[in-house]
Amino acid sequence: MESILNEEVDPADLKRFELMYNEQVRRGQVSEKAKFEYAWCLVRSKYIDDMKEGVALLEDLFKRASDDGARRDYLYYMSVGYTRIKEYPQALKYVKALLKIEPGNHQALQLEKFINKKMTKEGIMGMAIVGGAALALGGLVSLGIALAKK
Amino acid sequence: MGDTEVLTTLKILIIGESSVGKSSLLLRFTDDTFDPEQAATIGVDFKVKTLQVDGNRAKLAIWDTAGQERFRTLTPSYYRGAQGAILVYDVTNRASFQKLDVWLNELETFSTKHDLIKMLVGNKIDQENREVSKEDGLKFARKHHMLFIEASAKTREGVQCAFEELVEKIIQTPGLWETSNRGVDISQGGQAASACQGYCAVI
Repeated sequence: MESILNEEVDPADLKRFELMYNEQVRRGQVSEKAKFEYAWCLVRSKYIDDMKEGVALLEDLFKRASDDGARRDYLYYMSVGYTRIKEYPQALKYVKALLKIEPGNHQALQLEKFINKKMTKEGIMGMAIVGGAALALGGLVSLGIALAKK
Repeated sequence: MGDTEVLTTLKILIIGESSVGKSSLLLRFTDDTFDPEQAATIGVDFKVKTLQVDGNRAKLAIWDTAGQERFRTLTPSYYRGAQGAILVYDVTNRASFQKLDVWLNELETFSTKHDLIKMLVGNKIDQENREVSKEDGLKFARKHHMLFIEASAKTREGVQCAFEELVEKIIQTPGLWETSNRGVDISQGGQAASACQGYCAVI
């Protein structure tokens, strides 16, 4: 799963698909294909702003999708995109929606497992930070009390 | 044997028309599972497996590409750096066999290693309604200098062998993989008995 999530687009590819997409935008008629290809390149960029733009394009594609097959695919791509941005709750929402359509889909199951693992890890770290802050605060308060008693 | 150091990591691609059984072959090979309702792959899938061939351990990084039209323009970007490719057709679907030329063409255009090893796999031989004979498959493979095997992801037949033969051939072609670890002694072992001999037509 990590390989799919860490894989980076060749900058030349990104540029090529960007040109095609922009050309269509300029003409006022953007095909679903060009938009998807550009979005998927953006999602695999190493820059977070590109990834965010890619995910936004995918969400738009999903909203406009005409058939169920395409919708299923976009759910997966959006989940991969949000996982790359590390917005795990959103990533989880989309992969769960996909699993509702195809409960046995092994790509989706793998992705869900990965997201859950990341969320647990970050949850524990978050608690550690909050816990650490509470301890520090507690320390300061008792120090304050000790000083006040003097 | 299990402690042998990993000699190299090889990038393997699986390509072919949609629903010929690319993912089923992969999952049979990596996880020994088979899902008759296998969903169409979304974009690309990726699996890793370590394989022992001729006393050498190779780590395989296998990219399974979607056969669907929607992803077609993007698949070539995954071809880069691959040392081996498995081209799959369905023996019960003549059209999937006829499209092999297109896939070969794409491979030749976009792969970066020109001596990449190709393995042709005719899948679904467990089914009765065959439309492509073994001879046709063999003839095609010979014409295009590919390895060839018929297989069934469902019954396991030929699956392990397809990957083993491919890896063996890649390892025997040192220029293809030994870039960073020159000087490693690879036991060529000549044509030492492979469990697969007799099954695969090595061309």
